[in-house]
Amino acid sequence: MNRINRRQFIIGGAVSTLAAALPAFAQAPASFRIGALNPITGAGANYGAGMQKSILFAAAEINAAGGAAGRKFEVFAEDDQTTPNAGVLAAKKLIEVNKVQAILGTWASGVSLAVMPLTNDANALLMHTSGAVALADPKLNAKKMSFRYQGSSKHLSKAFMKAAQKEGLKRPAVMASNNPATAPHAEGFRKEWLAAGGQLTDFVLYEPNRTSYRSELQQVLRSKPDGIILSGYAPDGVLIIRDWFQSGTKMKWIMPGFAANPEFLKALGNEPTEGIVVVESIVNEGAAAYKAFAKQYESVMGKPAASNVYAAMCYDMVNVLALAIEAAGANASSAVIAQKVHEVTTGPGQQVGSFAEGRTLLKQGKRINYEGASSSVDFDDENDVDPTFAAFVIKSGAWQRTYLINR
Amino acid sequence: MDLVWADYANLVLNGLAEGLLIALPALAVTLVFGVARFPNAATGDLVSVGGFGAFGAYKVSGGSFLMAAIGGLAAGAAAGLASWQLVFKPVARHGSVTLLLTSIGLGFLIRALLGLGFGNEHNMFELPMMRAWTMGAIAINRMDGIVALLALATMIGVFALLHATPAGRVLRAMADNVDLARVAGINTARASAWMWSLVGVVCGIAGVLVGLKTQVSPEVGAELLLAAFAAAVVGGLGNPLGAVAGAVVLGVAQELSTPFVGFTYKIALSYAVMLLVLLWRPQGLFNRVQGVR
Repeated sequence: MNRINRRQFIIGGAVSTLAAALPAFAQAPASFRIGALNPITGAGANYGAGMQKSILFAAAEINAAGGAAGRKFEVFAEDDQTTPNAGVLAAKKLIEVNKVQAILGTWASGVSLAVMPLTNDANALLMHTSGAVALADPKLNAKKMSFRYQGSSKHLSKAFMKAAQKEGLKRPAVMASNNPATAPHAEGFRKEWLAAGGQLTDFVLYEPNRTSYRSELQQVLRSKPDGIILSGYAPDGVLIIRDWFQSGTKMKWIMPGFAANPEFLKALGNEPTEGIVVVESIVNEGAAAYKAFAKQYESVMGKPAASNVYAAMCYDMVNVLALAIEAAGANASSAVIAQKVHEVTTGPGQQVGSFAEGRTLLKQGKRINYEGASSSVDFDDENDVDPTFAAFVIKSGAWQRTYLINR
Repeated sequence: MDLVWADYANLVLNGLAEGLLIALPALAVTLVFGVARFPNAATGDLVSVGGFGAFGAYKVSGGSFLMAAIGGLAAGAAAGLASWQLVFKPVARHGSVTLLLTSIGLGFLIRALLGLGFGNEHNMFELPMMRAWTMGAIAINRMDGIVALLALATMIGVFALLHATPAGRVLRAMADNVDLARVAGINTARASAWMWSLVGVVCGIAGVLVGLKTQVSPEVGAELLLAAFAAAVVGGLGNPLGAVAGAVVLGVAQELSTPFVGFTYKIALSYAVMLLVLLWRPQGLFNRVQGVR
């Protein structure tokens, strides 16, 4: 009775300013309505606000350039609370009340999995940053209107396998938070690792939001692994690493970047985190789009852009959407726009780093390939991007890149 | 792999540490139920307020854990008292369902306000690293030890207050029969204010301890609510000793079950224990069946 869903609350100010800024010409093409559905609260809270702000400033950028095929973007912001039921309620509201044609920026896999059937039924686009392999399932993404801007856990698992080999592990153990992104990632690692002839000493799934993971850790340490693959989030990662460090055993840890985030490093301090290996997809540092994104992100959020790779993905989502609408024309349906996404991002075509640049070339009838802030944004047949991963090692409380991981 | 007795002893210790932490919000649930006769669904959010109070004082004082404890305690007490004066007192005469729904609403409100005021990030204390105490194969995490001792001290304080002071006698009289207490000349309004301050203090301390052990965010307390309710129900709603015992029993049962059911099902197991207890003793472990005349 006490677990009734929290009411989502709206980040209203930005939306109303945007709405008020819209010109009231009767002749102007209808605006294109976007739902920004991000993890403002819950486990993704460290990223959500930055993701939402990035969608807003990217949309403002498109509008300042005159809109996509003349259509201004109108953004409706919602909080998915990093939980599927809150995400579904918010998505229903966005689709039915706000009549959005695209939902951008769901983060947790559980949320994206729950929202995708809704966007599918409404013929709306979904662009997300979730890792679960299941999101690429052709039965789920039946209309091919959903796009993933993050490496799927399939990609991440493989990157972890390579990193574990490179670190010289012979018999590691796995600890993973039991949720739709990190558990399949750990499963994927197990499969890849065993297929490559390796062995595992233990494989433990643990529940999120507990006050302690000591029993889990003690069981894993009893199996005497030479390293532990930790697939979780920052709050549980802090508890596990702190407990391990206090136990005084030596261990090599490999964990994903979204868990070893700045909060994680700050909470633990330098000593316990020294030498932890971090595997993370890297932003497209050299790209013009990344520079444009980073400048705005840092001025809006007051934080380094490198701390939020998901915000860069959200920035790319808006730009890709705008280019696809430009290519499809002002009156195109969402289904046609979805088909154009591949055309403006993937394959041969002149590389562009912004909407304005792409629009000029599209008007000249040229093919373009959007080179994004988060990755080169090239979609495969399952609408997944294939980002570059790198391994980092934590030294004195900061990540230091050690090598790129070729898959 | 075979587990030796020391492994089970470690599991029991982990269960104790978890149980004693849950015991504080469980105690808060049961105190409110005993006197005000409704399950307070905002209990967890009072814990969050305590956590933020502690974290704020910790930051402002430049990293003092003593100030954090005082800040958490003060914030909890203020929030407890305010929730009575501003929210529950005006609707107190409407019966327990109204009060329950009000408390759910209050919980939403507190979470939203905390989120708006302080952001939804996870705030973590920078704790000094302390090696665990080890005795052979048994290891006690010092932080767990400190948390357990502070929780125990809080509970002893609450029991001393309930059983050895005039204010405690008044509260127990109200818990027994509120009308009779009023007829006997007890100022029930003042006693209620006392009780809510006490509940706030307990929640505030819980917030400090949970914050130290895990993190401080608007949802951190609400995550504990279900476990606290379960503990209070197992012990017998309205019975303070029962709530503490219930939390410890559930915590230990949960950890001891892990070699057999694994870690993802241990939470379900603690609710299975709750079901069994309720089948066997519907009034809870520590309550007597009372006839209604």
